[in-house]
Amino acid sequence: MKYLYLVFVMMAAVYTSAHNHTMHDMESYNHEGHLHDTMVDGKLLEVNPKRFDNFIVDLEGKQVAVVSVSGMVCDFCARGIEKTFSKNQSILKLDVDLSGGKVLLAFDRDAIIDFEDIKKKILSNGQNATDLQIIKI
Amino acid sequence: MSNKLVGDIIPPVGIKYICCYVLLACALVIEARPISYSGGSTVMLQSNEMQNSTYYHYSPTYKFSLGVEQVKDKYFDVNYSYFRLTYLLNRKNTKHSQRNLYLQSGLSSEGLDHYFYGVHGDWETRRLFSGFGYKETQTEKLDYAEQYLQLGIAPYIGEYGDLHTWLMIQSKHNELMGDWNTYPVLKFFKGNALMEVGYADTSEWDIHFMYRF
Repeated sequence: MKYLYLVFVMMAAVYTSAHNHTMHDMESYNHEGHLHDTMVDGKLLEVNPKRFDNFIVDLEGKQVAVVSVSGMVCDFCARGIEKTFSKNQSILKLDVDLSGGKVLLAFDRDAIIDFEDIKKKILSNGQNATDLQIIKI
Repeated sequence: MSNKLVGDIIPPVGIKYICCYVLLACALVIEARPISYSGGSTVMLQSNEMQNSTYYHYSPTYKFSLGVEQVKDKYFDVNYSYFRLTYLLNRKNTKHSQRNLYLQSGLSSEGLDHYFYGVHGDWETRRLFSGFGYKETQTEKLDYAEQYLQLGIAPYIGEYGDLHTWLMIQSKHNELMGDWNTYPVLKFFKGNALMEVGYADTSEWDIHFMYRF
């Protein structure tokens, strides 16, 4: 009986997951012309378009640091990144893009973005910051 | 399949690596995320055929954690505490994966004759998970070892903040309990909370809850 229960829960999890996946697919849309299509320092900005566009909605006149992070493979282990950066008052907004391996940090336009400091904070969570791109919104 | 064909598919060096991994896995208690981020605390509740326990640990850095575990030992029918240290021996981060190797140890409140030490490791991507562990426990009455292997797959790739689900198969062996025991485990996590639920005929429920703050 307990096995049946476990199988039922597993099937429910798979169904929920498939539904969830479909929802994510439906959220994909044509994003031509948006900021995430731009080149930054000769490199294409690789971000989740939907996520990025949502992130910058209220950031007119600000700047966004897109930090590439290696080892950020699960939600649970990325939680510390949010905790660490949320203590920094110069960061206006933060988002974690697990699929793209990016952390998005919003700053005021005149703020100085220190990649070494960002690297240290990411490392304190056990991951490595490998690249930084700064976009003026 | 001829040896030549095997050699063609898997180079000799690859075969050595695979053999080493299998031997290590065969030679080799389940503890996802045994160290938090710098300054992070974690509370874990665990219940299985051997024990019920409550474990709190604090991580001064991402390299190690210190904690206290209160154990209700079902096998020996005793209660005690462990003062625990877990150390991250090795971590490799890549864009799509993370691999960890941890050393763990604990000294019982019952005295210097009761302690444990062990090693556990994991490798995961956003889709796949594998883990192993080996733990040796010394007590005044009896010494015993425990091993586990874990393989998992995420049926969908959730985004940050979603409910994440893993379907896993776990094999455990405890010298006190006898044979290897293989059973399915469901793992869920959302935000700062994680829960694992497994069930086997012989060992019944294996439940693990974790909250990080």
